[in-house]
Amino acid sequence: MARRPILGLFRDANAAADAGDALKGAGISENDYDFLTDSPYPEGAFGEREEKHRIYVFPFIGALLGLTSGILLTSMTQFAYPLVTGGKPILSLPPMAVVTYEGTMLGAILFTVLGIMFESRLPKPKLGLYDTRITEGFIGVLVNAEEDQHNQVQELMTQAGAVEVKREN
Amino acid sequence: MAEHSNGRSPAGMWVFPQADQITAQVMERTTRRCKPHTIALVVAALLAALGVVGFLFRVAADGLDNYNAWGYYMAAFSFVFMVTSGAPLATAAFRFTKSHWRRPLSRVAELFAVVGVLNLLLFIPMVIVLPAIENPTFVPGMEGEMAARRAIWLGSSGVPFGAPALWDILGLVALAVTSMAILWLSLMPDLAQSRDRVSGFRRTIYGLLAGSWHGTKRQWIQHKAGMMLLGGFYFMMVVFVHFLIVSDFAMSLIPGWKDSILPPLYTLIAFQNALGLLLVILFILRKWGGYQEYIGISLFWSASKILLGLTLLWTYHLFAFFITFWYGRLEVEESILRYLMFESYAPVFWANVIFSFFVPFFILLWNPVRKTAWGPALAGLSALVGGFLFSIRIFVGSFNAVDFKEFPGELYSLGLTRARIQDAVIPDLWDIFMVVGIIGAAALVYLAAAKLFPVMSIWEVKEGAMYQRMGKLFRGEYMILAKPE
Repeated sequence: MARRPILGLFRDANAAADAGDALKGAGISENDYDFLTDSPYPEGAFGEREEKHRIYVFPFIGALLGLTSGILLTSMTQFAYPLVTGGKPILSLPPMAVVTYEGTMLGAILFTVLGIMFESRLPKPKLGLYDTRITEGFIGVLVNAEEDQHNQVQELMTQAGAVEVKREN
Repeated sequence: MAEHSNGRSPAGMWVFPQADQITAQVMERTTRRCKPHTIALVVAALLAALGVVGFLFRVAADGLDNYNAWGYYMAAFSFVFMVTSGAPLATAAFRFTKSHWRRPLSRVAELFAVVGVLNLLLFIPMVIVLPAIENPTFVPGMEGEMAARRAIWLGSSGVPFGAPALWDILGLVALAVTSMAILWLSLMPDLAQSRDRVSGFRRTIYGLLAGSWHGTKRQWIQHKAGMMLLGGFYFMMVVFVHFLIVSDFAMSLIPGWKDSILPPLYTLIAFQNALGLLLVILFILRKWGGYQEYIGISLFWSASKILLGLTLLWTYHLFAFFITFWYGRLEVEESILRYLMFESYAPVFWANVIFSFFVPFFILLWNPVRKTAWGPALAGLSALVGGFLFSIRIFVGSFNAVDFKEFPGELYSLGLTRARIQDAVIPDLWDIFMVVGIIGAAALVYLAAAKLFPVMSIWEVKEGAMYQRMGKLFRGEYMILAKPE
């Protein structure tokens, strides 16, 4: 049996949180349902699982790559044209600092953008189950469940106060 | 919609838009035909066209090999760059500090990211006209001239690869990419909510940019973390790029000008100008744009204190700039003070001080004035005029400190001497065309972006509506704010 999405729409955030509790109580894994909202609700507002993300890793890697490129570029250029001025060392740090800082920042920024896209799974070719009333303040509870569980899920959400439960056509 | 005030505050101090109507209302205002907006677009387009004419005539008359002729272009670019690069930072900074009053300001500021792309195009001619760091006519043993003019790039082994042009451009690219990424991230939830309410090309663009945004918990958390990271990077980058621009295009063009206060002075006036312009735009949106229910007086009240702080900080740095040179009394320091402050550019300098300090300071000094929409907006407008004059003084001054056509070697001399102080350069017709054209082009791009995308951050205003309401405490009615973090 295939897993398919089913969406419950709630006018009230408390009712949506109750639906989450009921789904958890019925043995549906917390990873299999999600809350869709039109604005960022405080973390834990629906009693949902704590979301973890690794987005901070991306700028760190980008910054390291940028820093390495900056140091290599500037030091190799200075070694390639070894002009000794006033008995000073060939490697001159102040002008290197500007280039390496810029390289580090560029790497961090580009990798952050990539990280956001990757971690948010954007872009996705298919939109999936949605209802435009969510944009008017309704809360959506999106459940990914086996098809034979759909009737039970629908009943749980209706009991919790869903104004409508939608299934994929 | 509801507007609230208590006995101590003016009407409209706090506003509480109704969350379930925000998307529809903002999109209706974004998509409706608005005659003043159209007129402003046409005027801005005409000004931009004048700018193109001025640019072409300037190229035909002076070419790109004598930077003296491009002082006013650089001043106008700098003014637009200062304002538009500082604006996205306002969003990032107030999000960092979790200032709830910022919500109507966020998108107005983020939309300036689009002008950041224009800045890149405008900057290209400046990179071309910037004279070489190495003295092309230097002969070892030559008296009075150096092998290279003093610039931040100069190391013991010459300048790094591509410096300064490549690194200046890359700095602007990094700024543009970061601010566009912040704008895109911030727009994503709004465009996803609005794509079913619009049609035609807007629908296509909204659909493309919104991707598969559904507003899941995971997406909101990534969204928040991403905005915070990019906001931090933007701050680290914008200060750095200001430093590059003012060092390469001002300080390094006046022989012997060594000053650690100019870069922060430049950054501070950029932030002051950016906040000033945001307050002017918010005033217009509140008064004539139909957003009175979204933009409360509390925003102007809160932002005005920051504007006052920036005004004072700028003045302190200006004084520090002056006093260091005044006490130093080297010939080059005296010459720079005479040239940029007290002789050649004295009228521009005093006008700069009046508009950047005295006018905003004496407006924002008064709390009752800060508790209005017009007061902070007027102070912001004055700061903008001051910023424009500052750009003229610094960049037209720097671009004309030596007569490069007649005496190119002077650019590589040890320092500006009293005998070599030039007169102020009065703009000719092509200069005026280029200045109004650059400002017009920036306005055109911003107005077009404001027509295409909502100027209110829908998701942020909705979030604010969730956390704020009026409530009773003892015998008074006050604004009650939930702070979940």
